[in-house]
Order: sequence, then structure tokens, then C-alpha cells
Amino acid sequence: MKRLEFLRYATLGQYLPGDSRIHRLDPRIKLVAFGLIVAAVTFSNAYLANGILLLAILLLLGLSRLPLGYGLQSARLALPALVILALFQLVMPARQFGTGATCAIIWQWRLLQLTDCTLRLIVVSTARLIALLVLTNLLTFTTKTSDLATGVEDLLAPLQRIGVPAHELALTLSIALRFVPTLALQMERVVKAQTARGADFGASSRFQVIKTTRRLLPLLVPLFVGGLRRSERLALAMEARCYTGGRGRSRRTRARAGLTDYVALIAVGAFCAAMWVIDFGALDRALWLWLAGAR
Amino acid sequence: MLNDSDQQPQQTSTLLVRRIVIAGIMVAITVLLGLLPVGGFIPFPTGVNATTLHIPAIIGGILEGWPVGGLVGFFFGLSSFLQAASPLFKDPLVAIVPRLFIGVTAYLAYAALKRVNELLAVGVGAAVGTATNTGLVLAMAVLRGYMNVNLAATVAVTHGIPEIVVAVLITVAVVGAWHQIGRRSGGSSV
Repeated sequence: MKRLEFLRYATLGQYLPGDSRIHRLDPRIKLVAFGLIVAAVTFSNAYLANGILLLAILLLLGLSRLPLGYGLQSARLALPALVILALFQLVMPARQFGTGATCAIIWQWRLLQLTDCTLRLIVVSTARLIALLVLTNLLTFTTKTSDLATGVEDLLAPLQRIGVPAHELALTLSIALRFVPTLALQMERVVKAQTARGADFGASSRFQVIKTTRRLLPLLVPLFVGGLRRSERLALAMEARCYTGGRGRSRRTRARAGLTDYVALIAVGAFCAAMWVIDFGALDRALWLWLAGAR
Repeated sequence: MLNDSDQQPQQTSTLLVRRIVIAGIMVAITVLLGLLPVGGFIPFPTGVNATTLHIPAIIGGILEGWPVGGLVGFFFGLSSFLQAASPLFKDPLVAIVPRLFIGVTAYLAYAALKRVNELLAVGVGAAVGTATNTGLVLAMAVLRGYMNVNLAATVAVTHGIPEIVVAVLITVAVVGAWHQIGRRSGGSSV
């Protein structure tokens, strides 16, 4: 019966109250910094660069004073996906990764082969995955979802002039966050009602795709139709209250960035710029040569 | 669009209130399906689960036009990026960019065929939207070096085709049901 308590699963942005430097940062600054670091992680292909980024992110985790377990949560769940990716790469290696140079074969056994590109891909994507998992946990654990939504709106506001619907994006996000628990409750009610009538939503054979889908229809159709009906009502209510979009609306509380916020932003910006400018590919090669020489 | 004959709100905003609200609810459904143990995936013979999370983007696009489809797709990408536990989807270029187009292509296919047959148009829209998702995600995965072309083609066949079947079944059922409700209640929703 516990499986049917859906509200339990509907946890989003599990904010952990705290008073660390990271908690107190302006949400807008936090979002910009988050974006910068994500970009730096996404575009780094070198071993050394990924190592440095991972260290930097763990340092931020330390600054946030979150328990290490929370930060690394879900990294454990990622393990099977990583193993599958690695195995696939051994059978069907990627032609090139990152540098664009041809790959040298390090180890070969019948059909299996390990090239330096494959090795790089496996190591770098593992580092990247852990870095981004910790980083997203860091953001959602230290920032309230409402602060995130207003932060997004404030950041996109200047783009409104060139036609980016900043307010609409933020409103969509707030509505979505507001309705996740409501819809979870609605779905819970439907599932319980169907189960009481003998429906079985448990495990099914992998070979009956259509049958499984059809069994889910009595669940998904009420979810969508209920949601659509709710949105009709909500839109009508908003229009009845003369809601006409974001223009000229003010807010009760306004975030104000202080000196520490700007210092943090400059530090992150400088760090990411350095990661972008430095040729880590060359450093990697130098490191390899040095390691080989030392041996 | 199926259900807006009765509403002509006067809005200066680029997106009507109604569209924003529907987009918001579709995003909520996407996020919810991703969190629940039931409904967000269908087990497949290949051993990997097929997703149903892109279906709200398709339904949003078909019911309310491409801006809503694009918006829902964007947030689907964002939530898949934030919740991902696999290196492939922890890459924003793979997780977010391809998803922007799901609802857009679904809407275009639907709009092109709407005059021929409404339900056929919905089905084709769902198929095209799903193919967009699978195709663009795999193309991006190849471009970013996570897969080689052979592997991507294999996944496209083993995954893409059953995913299309699932999406068509669900989308046609939902849009059909919603369409009927609109007709029966004469357009009033209160």
C-alpha cells in the first residue's frame, strides 16, 4: 500500500534550511554561477580540467556545510548507467572524443578494444556526472524553489525587450511547482480507485509493450484530462481577476545583491574563464610524459 | 486547436494566460511522471525502459500550438537535466536543446493534417514529436561523442519505434478524451 502514497515521491527542490555562505547568496548570483560552472564542466574534455572542476565543486559543497552524503546523494544511483556506458564503449568505441585526434589502441582482446579516447570518455564522463550531480544538489538544497523562480524571472527580465517571455517562463515554472503535489494527490486517488477495482499496475512482462501501455491509460488519461480541466479553471480565475501578464507588476520582496554576492560572482567568473582559456589538453599530455618519465 | 472556440481573451502578452497555465500544468505532469514509480516509463524487451515524459510536450503542442509545446519541452529538458543520473543526460546540450523541438514538430505535423482527419493528425503529431525527441537526442549524443553512429542507429530502432507506439496510444487517448469533454459540456468549464 505504501507504493500508492504518491505524495511521498513528489519532493522537488528539497531545500535544507541553513545559514552558510552559499545559502545566503543572492539567488540570481547563484543561478548565474551555476550556469557558468555547468558550462565549464560541459565543455571540458581533459583529465586535469575535470579533476580541478570536481575539486572546486567539492570545495563549494564544503562551504555550504551540507552533509557530504546529501551532496553525493544519487551519485550511487548513477553507477549502473556508468557501467553500461563503459561496456558499450568497449564493444563499439567512439571514433573520437574531444580532441579530434585519432585514437590509439591501448588494449585489445578479440572484439573488445580500449582506445585512449574510450578511456578518456569513461573517466571524463564519470567525473562530469559526479560534478554535475553534486552541483545540482548544491543548488536545490540551498535555494528555495520560489527564490529560484523569481531569480529566473529577474535574470531574464532584460531579455524581455528582445521578445524573450521572461515573466511567462517564470509563471509557467511557478505554476508547475505549485501543481506537482496537487496532481500527485489526484493521481494517487485515481490509482487507489483503480486498484480497489482490481487493476494491477505492478511489474509486467517486458514483451507486452502495447498491453502495458493500455493498462496505464486509465491512469494517464484522468491525469491529463484532470490537469487540463484544472488549467481551464485557473486561467478563467486569473482572467476574472484581471491578470494581464507581467508588465508593471511589482513584488513584495526583492532580492538585493551585496558585496559578497558580487565577489562570489567575480570569483566564479574568473575561475570559469581560466578553465576556458588554459589549454588543458597540452597540460594532460605533459602530465602523461612526466608520469611516463618518472616511471 | 481543439478547445478554444469559446474563449477569446484579449491579451497584450505574447503568450495568453490560458496558454501559460496549460504549459505550467503540462510541466507539472512531466515532472510528476518523472518522480512516480508508475506511469513515467514502460518496460521494454531490450531491458531499458522507454519514457513517457515527452508526451506532455506533445499534448501541449497539439492542444495549444507550438509556443506551448516549446515551453513544455524546455522545462522537460531542464528537469531531465537536473534529475539525470546518467552521463548522457547530465550534458545540457543533450538534455535540453533537442527537447525544445518535440512540441514544435508535433504541432506542425498536427496542423498540416488537421483538415484531413483530426485523430489521424493527433496520432501523426505524436509520432513525429517522439521521433524528434529520439532522433535529436541521439544525434546530439553522437555529436558530443558519447556514442558512435552504429550504436545510435541501433538505439533509434530498438527504442524509437516502441516509444512511438506508446506515445501515439497515450496521446490519441488523452486528446480524444479531452476533445469529447469540450463538446459535451458545450465549452463551459465551470
